[in-house]
Amino acid sequence: MAEFSTTIKERGDISIINLKGFLDAHTAPTLETNFTQLINDNKYKIVVNFEDLAYISSAGLGVFMAYIESIRDNKGDIKLTNMSDKVFNIFDLLGFPLLYEIYKNEDEAVKKFSGS
Amino acid sequence: MIKLSRNIVTTQLQLFLFAAFLLFVFKIFFGSPESIYLKVVLDIIIAATVFFLLLALIRFENSRPIAPLSLVLNVGILLAIMFFIILFSDYLMPSIFDNINLKLNNPGLVYNIVSVTYVLVMLAFVSFFLLTLRHFFFLNQGRDIKVYFNTMLVFFVLASLSINFFWEESVSFLSTTFFVVSVLLMVFNSIRISWIAFLSKKEKIYLLLLSFVITTLFIVNITNSSGDNIYSKILGAFSPSVKQFNQIIMIYGSIYFMILFFTTLFHLPTAEAYDRKAQEVTSLQYFSKLITEVLDFNDLAETVTDIAQKLSGSKAAWIIWKEGDKQNILAAKNIGFVESDKLTKQIFERINFEKLTSTKTFNLKDKIVDGSSENLFSVVSVSPIKTRGETQGTLVAAKGSGEIFTQDDLSAIETFSDYASVALENSRLLEESIEKERLEKELDVAREIQRKILPTKLPQYPGLQIASVFIPAFEVGGDYYDFFKINESKLGFVIADVSGKGISAAFIMAEVKGIFESLSKTIEKPKEILIKANDILKEALDSKSFVSAAYGYFDLIQRKLVFARAGHCPLFLLRDGDSKQIRPSGLGLGLSEKDYFEKTLEEYSIDLNKNDTIVLYTDGVTEAKNELLEDFGDKHFLRVLQSSVNLNAEELSNKIIKEITVFSSSHEQYDDITLVIFKWQQ
Repeated sequence: MAEFSTTIKERGDISIINLKGFLDAHTAPTLETNFTQLINDNKYKIVVNFEDLAYISSAGLGVFMAYIESIRDNKGDIKLTNMSDKVFNIFDLLGFPLLYEIYKNEDEAVKKFSGS
Repeated sequence: MIKLSRNIVTTQLQLFLFAAFLLFVFKIFFGSPESIYLKVVLDIIIAATVFFLLLALIRFENSRPIAPLSLVLNVGILLAIMFFIILFSDYLMPSIFDNINLKLNNPGLVYNIVSVTYVLVMLAFVSFFLLTLRHFFFLNQGRDIKVYFNTMLVFFVLASLSINFFWEESVSFLSTTFFVVSVLLMVFNSIRISWIAFLSKKEKIYLLLLSFVITTLFIVNITNSSGDNIYSKILGAFSPSVKQFNQIIMIYGSIYFMILFFTTLFHLPTAEAYDRKAQEVTSLQYFSKLITEVLDFNDLAETVTDIAQKLSGSKAAWIIWKEGDKQNILAAKNIGFVESDKLTKQIFERINFEKLTSTKTFNLKDKIVDGSSENLFSVVSVSPIKTRGETQGTLVAAKGSGEIFTQDDLSAIETFSDYASVALENSRLLEESIEKERLEKELDVAREIQRKILPTKLPQYPGLQIASVFIPAFEVGGDYYDFFKINESKLGFVIADVSGKGISAAFIMAEVKGIFESLSKTIEKPKEILIKANDILKEALDSKSFVSAAYGYFDLIQRKLVFARAGHCPLFLLRDGDSKQIRPSGLGLGLSEKDYFEKTLEEYSIDLNKNDTIVLYTDGVTEAKNELLEDFGDKHFLRVLQSSVNLNAEELSNKIIKEITVFSSSHEQYDDITLVIFKWQQ
């Protein structure tokens, strides 16, 4: 059973989710719970930090697709940061950079939120 | 069987009615006889009547078993009725007889009818009492004890008859003797009352009251009937034996119920403990039966808490179960989940969950109120539930203020938690194996779908070598590829990977095949096909699902390859010993709306040279892992291609597969591996 965990911290009115471990169909519910919780709390400005993420499967990618629409409908966004080359490639092949803002580091993403 | 009994009953009833009729006839002709012979005849007829009545009632009683307490109640009711009849006889009967004398021409006949009926009614009551006492005598008795009861009956008859025939002084001692022996036998037979042990405490109290009332009524009826009232006169005039017989049965009744009353009284203090013990035994019996039955795990947990609570005489009981890191309340009886959670926290401050090996009990520091019924829990017992040697859960029972867990309680719960551990483990194992089987069946279906969808043979086109390899993963990975003969000089192809695994991926695969099969018949341009496919899939798929795909066609006349890539792995082109990746822009299918998808999708065209090799694959190839969990990767792939310049399509595909197999030999294949190779020969 691959390990996966998330931690959430606040930077102002922006929520940062740190992913750690292996995100696949089995562990995806953890991240889903995080998103649901944030949406319930009306926190629509979200940055997801992939620094400690070892692996993501198509099920993991699907999690973002499930929540992005309602978050953007509420004038928020999910920005993705700190991806390793391997993880970025997975996103890139599918064309995710065309759908999401992907940054090298967390600060850039946070700045983008304040700017908009 | 019932029908047969009814027939027998009918026979007995007929005999009884016949005897009663004889009785009536006798009375008309002989009234109250003086002659000893007539007296004998009368008593014989009476005896026969009673005998047949008893037999009929016995048969009837056997066909419908009645609970002992209901029988007792019936006795009480009949006694009460009898009491009132005897009482009102003094008021009613004289006026009835006066009326008969005054109004009728033939008073003797009616008088006889009335007196015979009266006596028969009394005999019926008394027969019922006798039979009930007989029923109680034999209740819950193991050995053959008929002889005691029947001997007593013999003495009853002797005592009744002797009153009639041995009234002379010299032999009157005989009737007294028979009477005394009868009474002694009554007492001797009345100690067979062990059946009351099986009653619950409530039932014993009820019995206590009833037997008090019944004893009183019996005694009252006895005193009434030995007096000088109408009842006594009618019976005495009819036959002194009958009167004596009635008396004897009433005495038997009063002795029996008096003994019953006092025994029940002395049973009361232990009744509750007895109930508990009985409950314990039935619970354990019930539970051992449950262990062998298939039970839902959660239902079983509920039953465990239910029995645990009853067994230990507790107010409430609940189970704590370990799930990963956390401990959850699995089931709770007579306590809410919130309160049991609070109490659990207290308990785990005192004991170490994992180290618990036997039942412990201790007082709670902070007593918690159970919101619904104002219960205060002050002491708990905590028992481990072990599965596979590990303590997986805890069974807790809680009692209120002033209560304690006795040694008996603790040992009962200890035994029970062992039972419960076995049962819960079995249930879990069964559920796991059912789940596993279900998944396997699902995967079988998924594999079948996948097998049916994929092409069974390669198309033949002059000047174009084609090779394909497909190696499914154990858990169907959602890969799909296909060929479409557009016309004699155009060959279309698709390669795709559905997100997710298993049967849901297989279903989407089937849908994707349908979409491409129909679109490729009417649309030529790859970009257009993918745009339409995206339209359909964006609508059809849920937000979490998507499909990566690449569609293209070979034009043999124009010697070119036209294709578009919707989020799929890049295409490799091997040309003149050089291998390169071709990766036109494009979003996966099902991810975005039509306009944006169209805008970001690039169509790509390659003019083909001789020996150009086109390699299509899915991420099962590049993500194959070795023992260090490193990916096979693009670079390695490209290197393999570059070192295989002169191989034909078939040879190249074999080589690539061999490389992958060697690379990931120590690791189980996680995703489908799909490889499609075209080699241009023109």
